[in-house]
Amino acid sequence: MLGFVERTVTQVGTTMVTIAREVGGIVVMTAQVLRALVPPSPASLDGRELVKNLHKMGNRSVPIVALTAFFAGALMLVQSAPFVEKLQAHALAGWASGYAVLREIGPILIALMFSGRVGANNTAELGTMTVTEQLDGLRALAIDPVRYLIVPRVVAMMVMLVALTVIGDLVSLVGAAVVGKALLGIEPATFYHSVVDNLKPGDFLHGVYKSIAFGGAIAITSCYFGVTVKGGAVGVGKAVNAAVVAAAVSVMLLDFFMTYWLG
Amino acid sequence: MPPTPTTTPRPGLVARAAAAAADRVEAVGQVAVDAVRAAVELWGVFVSTIAGIYRGGRPRGEIVRQLHAIGNRSLLFITVTLGFIGMVMIYQACMQFMRVTGDLSQIGLQFLPLIVSDFGPTLTAMMLATRVGAGIAAEIGSMKVTEQVDALRMSGVLPVDYLIVPRFVASIVMTVVLSTLGGAVMYLAGGLTAHYQFGVNTELFFDPELLRPAHLILGLTKAVAYGAAIPIVSGFCGLRAQGSSEGVGTATTAAVIGSSFAVLLLDLILSVIAFVLFGEQLR
Amino acid sequence: MIELAAVKKRFGRHVVLGGIDLEIPTGACLGIIGPAASGKSVLLKVMSGLLRPDTGTVKIDGADLTSRSEEGLAPVRARIGFLFQNYALFDFMTVGENVAFPLTRRGGVPADEITARVAARLRAVGLGGNEAKLPSELSGGMKKRVGIARATIALPEIVIYDEPTAGLDPVTTSKVYDLLRADQQSTGATVIAVSSDVDALCRFVDTVAFLYQGVIRYQGPAATLADAPDPVVRQFVRGELEGPLEG
Repeated sequence: MLGFVERTVTQVGTTMVTIAREVGGIVVMTAQVLRALVPPSPASLDGRELVKNLHKMGNRSVPIVALTAFFAGALMLVQSAPFVEKLQAHALAGWASGYAVLREIGPILIALMFSGRVGANNTAELGTMTVTEQLDGLRALAIDPVRYLIVPRVVAMMVMLVALTVIGDLVSLVGAAVVGKALLGIEPATFYHSVVDNLKPGDFLHGVYKSIAFGGAIAITSCYFGVTVKGGAVGVGKAVNAAVVAAAVSVMLLDFFMTYWLG
Repeated sequence: MPPTPTTTPRPGLVARAAAAAADRVEAVGQVAVDAVRAAVELWGVFVSTIAGIYRGGRPRGEIVRQLHAIGNRSLLFITVTLGFIGMVMIYQACMQFMRVTGDLSQIGLQFLPLIVSDFGPTLTAMMLATRVGAGIAAEIGSMKVTEQVDALRMSGVLPVDYLIVPRFVASIVMTVVLSTLGGAVMYLAGGLTAHYQFGVNTELFFDPELLRPAHLILGLTKAVAYGAAIPIVSGFCGLRAQGSSEGVGTATTAAVIGSSFAVLLLDLILSVIAFVLFGEQLR
Repeated sequence: MIELAAVKKRFGRHVVLGGIDLEIPTGACLGIIGPAASGKSVLLKVMSGLLRPDTGTVKIDGADLTSRSEEGLAPVRARIGFLFQNYALFDFMTVGENVAFPLTRRGGVPADEITARVAARLRAVGLGGNEAKLPSELSGGMKKRVGIARATIALPEIVIYDEPTAGLDPVTTSKVYDLLRADQQSTGATVIAVSSDVDALCRFVDTVAFLYQGVIRYQGPAATLADAPDPVVRQFVRGELEGPLEG
């Protein structure tokens, strides 16, 4: 019994210390990125790295984001379908699913997918560079890895997650409209008016603002766990795992605070 | 000046466009072939896993170890994430209802069936897809690239039996358990938000009157389906890892995307089937 | 007797084995050499049924491996011991559990006999008393020796060594080969070893096969390797800079 208590306390304590250390490391990395970007100067951002990352992280994620968004919209409509049927309120379907998708489900699901696709990939890439001592190689050439590798990635991820969320929002409304027609026989025109008449630009912006914060959180966590990898292939796997978990938690926390803050 | 015999005539624009298009079609075709092949292999892993449950051959005590690794070690993660999302959802819903009807008494009544039949299992599984999916792929992928999987095979062990079956069983059990927990945390966090932020009566909020057996059946079915899909997809990604640390990274990434996607796909399929089968009872 | 006939294997567009014919009589001791990425490791994995060739047949004592399912291969593999290039020790098991694994999996051996045999085998590779350690606590050379102990514990009729001495210093290399030779002489097993360290390998094996670009360019006694008629083989063995060898 005493042994169990002791083990539990030790485990909880160790977990807390680990979490505190990771949070501290993430804060330090955020400060380093900000210091590189403020005040802005041409030297603070490697243009070629930025363009390369924008393409790799953004353009190539469009299919998976579009598919996710289509599903998200469709799902929200399926969830609201029983109520719409019950109230015979076809005119409300677009509004109900659109509201949920634009403000919450869309940005969150797209951010989670982005974290899995781009964030995890980024951690794996930086992690591989770390275990093969490429970061030390950069330092030996007097190139600051934060400015050369991390800042362009952070900027690219933030820009691209916003862009992908905008695309995703549109696709998810299409998804909801398609399922609405197929499942409940709601005419696309009815759906369109339901969305346009009831939703405000604020609802759309609410989600977009969130995606800026989500992009920053995913970028910083994925870079942090990438450059702190230890121990070969096993270490890279563990780092990717830790990065996606940290990204998911920070997306959820940020979502909560942003929702209150944005109202 | 006589034309040099070695140069071939420059192909016309149409010919070049056709060649480019052919290349493009070939590339797309290759992607399609790879995707179909991967789907067939994935199905093979699933069938082999089901058979492996009866075949045995897993290490003793491994299922218990996996129950702990998948379940206990996700407790904090699921509680935190689902708790926050429960608060946010109720906040958003209350804001919306205030804008339209101003009547918040129905919020909790409508929220519970949604949690039980969808949000609880689906959001829990989305979270598990990142934590558990990445973990499984990282472990099995590391073993694959360090030839430990081959070493197992040389000792007459089927990697599916030894590595995937225990995770499969543990994941199904723990996804059901954690979905229940996650749903409860969401409900509770939502109720507290409604009460303290919008002054909704807690007795009114926590009224389970609209909950039907159909909701429970649907939620449970989803949890089992997600719990089965995550280890299959992730284990499959891990077993396909090649190379060294890049290979493990790629496998882990693919596992997160693949299992999240499987969750969304299953959610849509099961929700539509449920709506068609017993739409009446889901109201 | 291991027989390979017209074995071809490619990964994507890259041809790794371009038609291998090879016969290894029972009790032989064959070394396989060749430049990096010439298909040596793939050849070993095809021989043991870990990789399936695209065309051609692999037979061990008349039993065709290529037509068997993964489960059907188990009895054949039970006769093979395999030392992997990167040891492939199970990192979630202790050294003792690793070495015992082939025995515990097959069953039929009492637990105390397993313990005794593991202890004896670890002593033979110079690691007696290390049963309780984890692989992560060992150096590269020690891991290699644990790998050898695991590959040979079940007294296999065929032992395959993939780079038994890569990354080891010359003294340890000699120790490892002494160990392999002593093993082979006491069990009479068929031994196949791959190494890029030609000199050390040739002191251990009787015959060598030289693999280059997925094709066997020399097969014969180790002693006459340096005077092979094929210029590629001669250049590689003598370490000359000028010659037909690519890359």
